[in-house]
Amino acid sequence: MTTVLAPIAGAAIGLAAVPDPVFSQAMVGPGTAIDPLREPVEAVAPIDGTIVKLHPHAYVVVGDDGRGVLVHLGIDTVQLKGEGFRLLAAEGDRVGAGQPVVAWDPAAVEAGGRSPVCPVVALDAVAGSVGEVAEGRVSAGDPLFEWS
Amino acid sequence: MAADAEAIIAGLGGADNIIEVEPCITRLRTEVHDASKVDQAALKAAGAHGVMAAGNVVQVVVGPEADTIASDIEDIIG
Repeated sequence: MTTVLAPIAGAAIGLAAVPDPVFSQAMVGPGTAIDPLREPVEAVAPIDGTIVKLHPHAYVVVGDDGRGVLVHLGIDTVQLKGEGFRLLAAEGDRVGAGQPVVAWDPAAVEAGGRSPVCPVVALDAVAGSVGEVAEGRVSAGDPLFEWS
Repeated sequence: MAADAEAIIAGLGGADNIIEVEPCITRLRTEVHDASKVDQAALKAAGAHGVMAAGNVVQVVVGPEADTIASDIEDIIG
């Protein structure tokens, strides 16, 4: 069982509400999404583990059991080419759940015409293995879902 | 299972059909000359979780190994 923490404060809205079929159709795995508070913030690691992928707009932390959790900061934010995102850790770093990884500003992403919604995905998890998914207001570091 | 770079090139209609491959964290964003040469079933058989095509832009969802696969593809097609 892995408890996946909210990487950012906001409202848990579910993956189906994400305006990107890769996430809304759970093509890379189940999970949920957070509509973030519109304020500059540090997105944190959702689980203990190693940062195996770190882009300015997205990162993957893999736990010692091999399970990976993807945090994607906003939709189509790869197009920003890192502008407005500041890395607070490096690829290959070991991090504890709740440790800051990327600083960014959801309000700036939204002002640029993109959705700031953040999918949080249990990569390649089998259907039905994700439960106790939080709904509504969450703070960074709150339990977001359980991966059994 | 990591998607297979050679099979993805074939599914995109071959190296000559590919204009550009750009990795995002979950997908390859590719631009092709002729979208009718893209074989979505072949791409899924190559390990893609899904394929989204809009005009000549084809997004192949391969998961977080997208950047590794994109560099493999670039090595092959040169």
